[in-house]
Amino acid sequence: MNSETGGRWTRRQFLGGTAVAVATGPTTWAAPQTAAAAAAVDENPWRYDVDRLRQVDPALIGYERVAGFAVAASGVRRLVWTTPRELWVTAGRSLLAYDLGGAKVAEVAIGDVVRCLALAPDGRLFVGLRDRVEVYDRQGQRLARWPAVSGKPFLTGLAVGKDMLFVADSGNRVVYRCDLEGRIQLRIGEKNPERNIPGLVLPSPFLDVELGGDGLLRVTNPGRHRVEVYTVDGALELAWGRAGVALDAFCGCCNPIAVSLLGDGRVVTAEKGLPRVKVYGAAGGLETVVAGPNQFAPVGSDERSRGKPDTALEGLDVAVGADGRVAVLDLVGSTIQIFQPKGVAAVAA
Amino acid sequence: MLPGPSNDDRTSRREFVRNGLRVAGLTGAGVAVGALSHRGAAADTVWQIDPRKCLSCSRCATECVLEQSAVKCVNWFPICGYCDLCTGYFEPQPIGLDTGAENQLCPTSAILRKFIEDPYFEYKIDEDLCIGCAKCIEGCKLFGNGSFHLQVRHDRCLNCNECAIARSCPGDAFYRAPVEKPYYQFTT
Amino acid sequence: MRWVNEHRARWRGVRWLAWVALVCLGSGIGFLALGEAAELRFPPPDFESGYSMPATQYPSARSQGMEWFDIAVLLATLGTATALVYAKRSRTGLAWLSGFSLLYFGFYREGCVCAIGSVQNVALTVFGTGYALPVGVGVFFAAPLLVALFAGRTFCAAVCPHGALQDLLLVRPVKVPRWLESGLGVLPFIYLGAGVTFAATGAAFLICRFDPFVPIFRLSGSLGMLLTGGAFLVLSLFVGRPYCRFLCPYGALLKVASALSRWRVRVTPDVCTQCRLCPSSCPFGIIREPDPGLMRPKEVSMARRGILVALAALPFLVLAGAGVGWVFGGAAARLHPTVALVEDYGDSLARGVPATPTLPERLALDRAERQSKDLLPRAEELRGKFRMGGLWFGVWCGLVVAMKWISLGMVRRRDEYQPDRTACFACARCFSSCPQERIRLGWSPAPDAVTTHPAIAAVHPVPSAKSGGCGCGPGATGGNP
Repeated sequence: MNSETGGRWTRRQFLGGTAVAVATGPTTWAAPQTAAAAAAVDENPWRYDVDRLRQVDPALIGYERVAGFAVAASGVRRLVWTTPRELWVTAGRSLLAYDLGGAKVAEVAIGDVVRCLALAPDGRLFVGLRDRVEVYDRQGQRLARWPAVSGKPFLTGLAVGKDMLFVADSGNRVVYRCDLEGRIQLRIGEKNPERNIPGLVLPSPFLDVELGGDGLLRVTNPGRHRVEVYTVDGALELAWGRAGVALDAFCGCCNPIAVSLLGDGRVVTAEKGLPRVKVYGAAGGLETVVAGPNQFAPVGSDERSRGKPDTALEGLDVAVGADGRVAVLDLVGSTIQIFQPKGVAAVAA
Repeated sequence: MLPGPSNDDRTSRREFVRNGLRVAGLTGAGVAVGALSHRGAAADTVWQIDPRKCLSCSRCATECVLEQSAVKCVNWFPICGYCDLCTGYFEPQPIGLDTGAENQLCPTSAILRKFIEDPYFEYKIDEDLCIGCAKCIEGCKLFGNGSFHLQVRHDRCLNCNECAIARSCPGDAFYRAPVEKPYYQFTT
Repeated sequence: MRWVNEHRARWRGVRWLAWVALVCLGSGIGFLALGEAAELRFPPPDFESGYSMPATQYPSARSQGMEWFDIAVLLATLGTATALVYAKRSRTGLAWLSGFSLLYFGFYREGCVCAIGSVQNVALTVFGTGYALPVGVGVFFAAPLLVALFAGRTFCAAVCPHGALQDLLLVRPVKVPRWLESGLGVLPFIYLGAGVTFAATGAAFLICRFDPFVPIFRLSGSLGMLLTGGAFLVLSLFVGRPYCRFLCPYGALLKVASALSRWRVRVTPDVCTQCRLCPSSCPFGIIREPDPGLMRPKEVSMARRGILVALAALPFLVLAGAGVGWVFGGAAARLHPTVALVEDYGDSLARGVPATPTLPERLALDRAERQSKDLLPRAEELRGKFRMGGLWFGVWCGLVVAMKWISLGMVRRRDEYQPDRTACFACARCFSSCPQERIRLGWSPAPDAVTTHPAIAAVHPVPSAKSGGCGCGPGATGGNP
């Protein structure tokens, strides 16, 4: 300490000290930062990796995309190919009709969220809401409103026959056979050891039903990863399908989520998770692939489908035209794509 | 204890100024307290994750200031499918549907699978083992209902002023939840 | 019991209300046309085996009551520390209290809530939007400052866990050169400014993130911060309280408050005999020797000139700081996650996205892509905030340097050896070095009427430096014998 200034200190000392302070600041600042940067990991070791499963060998794909358009509505859910030139889509509280070029040709407003749709040969529209069926004509006039289904209804599929309607109820895990006035005649698919029926398992609301030209019902049983074939009297005739990520199996925990029938009894199935559309023979053997995951918007590409709590819109729906073409509705991307078998000969079939 | 009274003019003036400043400081503190409390009753908040925004990036496992992350997987049973083939529990291509370690997705075997009745299984999380890596969450979300979701567990969370995970969350999924509603509640 | 019943009834009422609200909400959903988001839940399976669904466990946060308990502990320790410094003059008591504070606020509460970090909460409450200051944080911010207005930094003495940890570790204090000490003394003010700026802009809680001791209290943390904490611990063995003296932003506030304090810590309980024993007993080197003040006219005029020059330089320093702050404020905006994301997003657009799609960084870029409409204007707004923040921070730095400069010219007259009240941590180490204190405690022979008489003491010649004749070594820094 300078004796002349006593306990005080000089400006030079002050400047020196300030310089040290200025130098110390950035150093103490930078040290932890660089250390943290050095410790950064360069890949996610806990990634849920299904990338390789998204690839489908192009040689196995027997269909090609011939048309496609976006549906300018939110909440698209089910798709029905009504006449050769018209596709009907349910979107939230409305039904939208498009021609194959993507032009909207009709719109019907419904009082509640529409969950499924079927077209009767006489032109009537059967519209499934959460707990009931309503009947409309094609101009949007409501013809009937059936009583609500008891239990915990969550209707997700409709199939219409000559004088009966089949209603798939995901909530009650059953398919009802009704007459066209809405009276339930029979419950199909419920667990019944005597008739050797294991029961429908539905982790999520994706019970679908289709009536084939052979008079047999195709019902999805996504929790068991199979398609079950019932007679209209509720006898289980056949069940096929197995769980797995392999191409011939149904992936994830609940697939297939939708079926549609080709004229010759072959079955088109749709899967979610890894969105795939495949064609199976009437007895269940994989015949060909219509479209693989790369042709659809991946889950997560849309804010809506991130962290879906429940009943979120995801996955696909399929509808088959009379000429054997397959229309696929992508719920995530809100698009419709139309596929036809590769080669002209296939179109003729 | 106190310095004795001084006749020194300078000292007493300084003492006066100091007293004045002290009073000013107290007044300022009072005004500040009043103003701050006027800004609204202090609603305490805690950190939480919005599962809808979560991108399952695994940073919850690594970024928490705690040795064991305060973020854990939670199964919300009302929307759980109770699947036999749970894609949150099993590898995408399991060899068998059993609890063999080779079939399990979870890197720490933190999910407990219990048979209930054919064909349903219950899945519970052992939070002491869960590291919050979100691998199972992505599996459940991709194929299933999304009943697995990440939540900040408040018995573990230190409620830092600046949550290290929130800062680096790529989905911006962290939010400040009021302390009365400290967990994300599904609305559907 | 009655209270319990009432409480239960009230709770039942609350629950009932909650149910009503829930039902209204549920039924309202159908009419509100909320669309898909408000769909009712898909029912879980019917279990036939009598299985009932377990309730998802939601452990609650630390209760509000515990927050009040923390406040009570803080006030009690503050009061005890003040009493120990002023009434008991007990280093042993303070050491025990430090140990308690270290265990409670440090290792049990894991360094949260703490007064040091509370500065940022206050800044965020004042400048930010939508953040209300929790009561506990407010008390932790205000109580030590209010105490300092009257009794100096007794919070530092034995309540702050950071101080306690360093203080208890100090075994072999090294004297820090005065110039270095004074120069580094500017840092807390700068750090305080930076902490407040970043908190006010909502970018970061800088002071918490780079706290070297919290990782030690929690026994976990990033490698970098653990190493920094370890370095500070090792440094604390030889340099008294390095964080408190050269970094602590709350210490900067306490410094200002304690400059106004009503009472001050005095080395001697009686009259200073100017025996020169106490300065070396202070491990922080802040006991100042008596100073006659400026006696010669030449000295006075030089000091005046110095102050005038500093005052003249003040506006320039402030302006320079503002300019530099404005320039660097934009760059500092990158510390805000949103700004950083938007900048990275811009980079990725210019250079093409990184090839690893699974990394969180890439996921964040995807989000930026989806939300770019919201994020880009938000980032621009934040950059503007940061430039303003940087400007004010620059002004602050200019002021701090100018004030330091001005304070150089200020000379105080001191009649006795006394701690610099702004820097004194009230650790009470110096007390036992004072012969008068030893007499008070009865450790030394009975008082001698000659030396204690104020009139005689005042004219007592200053003893030579080596005449430590009272039998206690000047190295008694460890406190009590």
